Amino acid sequence: MSAQSVPQGFEPKIIGFLCNWCSYAGADKAGGMQAPYPPNVQVIRVMCSGRVDPQFVLSAYEKGADGVIILACHPGDCHYKEGNCRALQRHALLNLVLEQLGVEKERCRLDYVSAGEGEKFNRVIGEMVEAVRALGPLRLLRENNA
Amino acid sequence: MKIGIYFCNCGSNIADKISSAAVAEAAGSFPEQPFLKTVDFICSEDGKLQFEESLKAELPDRVIVAACSPRDHEATFRRCMINAGLNPYLLQMVNIREQIAWVTEDPEIATAKAIRAVRGALYRVRLQQPLEKKELEACPDALVIGAGPSGMKAAMALAEAGRSVVLVERTPMIGGLPVRFEELFPDLECAPCMLEPLMGELLHGDHAGKIELMTMSEVIEVTGFYGNFIARIRQRPRHVSLHECIGCGECAAACPAVTMNGFNNSASERKAIDFAFTGVLPNAPFLMEEVCVRSRGEECRACKDACPMGEDVVDLEQVENVVERRIGAIILATGAGLYDASRVAGMGFGAFPDVYDALQFERLLSSTGPTAGEILTRAGNVPLSVAIIHCVGSLDSDHKPYCSGICCQYAFKFNHLVSARHPDTAITHYHRELVMPGKTAHTLFRHAARNANTSLKRYSSIDDLAVTLADDGRLQVSANGENNVADMVVLCPAVIPAEGTGRLSALLDVGCDSSGFFRELHGRMDAAQSAIKGIYLAGSCQEPMDIQKAILQGMAAAGYTLAGLQPGRTLEIEPINAEVDEVRCAGCRLCISVCPYRAVSFDSGHNASSVNAVLCHGCGTCVAACPAGAITGHHFTNDQIMAEIEGVLK
Repeated sequence: MSAQSVPQGFEPKIIGFLCNWCSYAGADKAGGMQAPYPPNVQVIRVMCSGRVDPQFVLSAYEKGADGVIILACHPGDCHYKEGNCRALQRHALLNLVLEQLGVEKERCRLDYVSAGEGEKFNRVIGEMVEAVRALGPLRLLRENNA
Repeated sequence: MKIGIYFCNCGSNIADKISSAAVAEAAGSFPEQPFLKTVDFICSEDGKLQFEESLKAELPDRVIVAACSPRDHEATFRRCMINAGLNPYLLQMVNIREQIAWVTEDPEIATAKAIRAVRGALYRVRLQQPLEKKELEACPDALVIGAGPSGMKAAMALAEAGRSVVLVERTPMIGGLPVRFEELFPDLECAPCMLEPLMGELLHGDHAGKIELMTMSEVIEVTGFYGNFIARIRQRPRHVSLHECIGCGECAAACPAVTMNGFNNSASERKAIDFAFTGVLPNAPFLMEEVCVRSRGEECRACKDACPMGEDVVDLEQVENVVERRIGAIILATGAGLYDASRVAGMGFGAFPDVYDALQFERLLSSTGPTAGEILTRAGNVPLSVAIIHCVGSLDSDHKPYCSGICCQYAFKFNHLVSARHPDTAITHYHRELVMPGKTAHTLFRHAARNANTSLKRYSSIDDLAVTLADDGRLQVSANGENNVADMVVLCPAVIPAEGTGRLSALLDVGCDSSGFFRELHGRMDAAQSAIKGIYLAGSCQEPMDIQKAILQGMAAAGYTLAGLQPGRTLEIEPINAEVDEVRCAGCRLCISVCPYRAVSFDSGHNASSVNAVLCHGCGTCVAACPAGAITGHHFTNDQIMAEIEGVLK
């Protein structure tokens, strides 16, 4: 289970899987707006959110991530027609697994950001960082792997 | 392994926030000892030249460009790689401008984030493999299914560009539905006159030799893929040679067998061998085997003997024939039909002879129709009152939820044509909504609204309407508690996909939407493409539309074909695609079910799935789905993504 109390100065490490066509473009849009957001999310670009294998998420936790955010095209807008629906299905299943592992569901978020939604990207990243910061470091997996 | 990092300052855009020296120092701790070069504006002409010269001098095994978004300039820098003699897929970009420098206030924090991102790229780029575009021979010719306005226009455009076209038409005639009409909205142009030049070009014009027209034919099997389809086409016997027949009709005159003509609402007669209707193209009769007296075992060759062109024109022994054609692209132009109005309760369609659907009424208005264009009831009288009911099955959750888009316009065309011929006839429109988009559609509506003998009555639900028989035997329309007599009722049923759309959808794996129309790749950007590469959509098989839009979409489909397939040019296959390792594949076929492009198929010989690289769009959904890890997503492999995750978290 995660830490009972959050250590002072804790900065969460978060992996963001962004699909190339909508949410990665949305992140670029947020960049163009030049409004700062927390630096805690490292972006991994994939062509489609449907490419995000659940083992990428588990592996991210294993390698030290405190949270993972998957950002997809809005339903109906997927560049590959329905890859985001696959991402949604996998996310639902992943949540069940994470629950059994004692990983809070706030540590694995799926959301939709379109290429035009720079402001939403900025907001979603801020929310994610704050949510994981409040939970503190993810400990269980790392201790088990140690 | 020699790795080169090219750090773009982007003037002060990046340099103000991220220290290239700090990035260089961090990178120096890697076993490969990558070199780092700073460029001021690497995307400028000068910057690209510096980049290329440096690549040529250093010849790195892998290259990282830390600069703007790869969505801006990945293609640019891949070209620089090629110019320097390196494989473009050995490049990895790090987005340190949009996603770090521009959104991080503190330069120290920004630099730390950039170092993590570059570390991720270093971990990843080590595993990147040189990839090559594959090339494939492709046939530049096309199959067009459906010879209505959009199919004919597409076929003609392709033929004019020198492509061979196989034009397959289910009925004995070309021209689709509009050729059966007399006049068209919005300007009452004569429909056959409008179509005849196109039909004439198609049959006898300078490029007609490029078009192989098969009437009374259907596609029964398609194998292969974009650039290399093989279609099998079944030709039902017409019993009349299209090439030799002069269309004189002597055979029909001699024929002893009579039936009702389905092309004329079964309200006029035809012979077993006859034209669909006068003036039809191709100008040749067809024999209805089931009507011919020979089908009852009688000996008859009256038609054959009557033919002035000789023995070979009428072939009574002709049988069904299946032919095979190789094509590179397929254009679906199968058109639309009308919803069966008898399924809408209370409309009296099928029960009362003087209740017509719109297609039947078009034939009644047509000079080649059952009454030679006279508007007459079945009893032969001029109607004193006509009711036109809009939205029969459209905008109706019990039937078709969508607006059919064209009905209001032809309903007001009917109004004009009836009132022009019979000014004293009262016309009542029962409508739910009135939809008349565009710059010309309003004119017929204005004309109707100004007509003293026309009234418009709005209803809210078709359940509130009923067509019944009054005591005097005339029709009666009840609406909103009010009864009005009518001698004729014309229904405007929902426009639905043509018969056979579902069969073709299954045959070609082209999906249909919930209304049964062929599903487009994208509603705005690619409405003339299906999700299957090389299969295009034209006309009302995609959605209800008027002739203008159908013709445009036919041209669009032809344009896709011309742009994608060019004689003497091979098809380039993008290397970012999926590939199955058939040894690891367990044959569960999950990949087949998740692929949106039908690019994965099952190879029963090897008991493994197989990805067709031509059809694959490289999304990687199947890669993530494979429980055996048997599918590699090139350039986005599991190992590469995992390495990047590890690198950014280290």
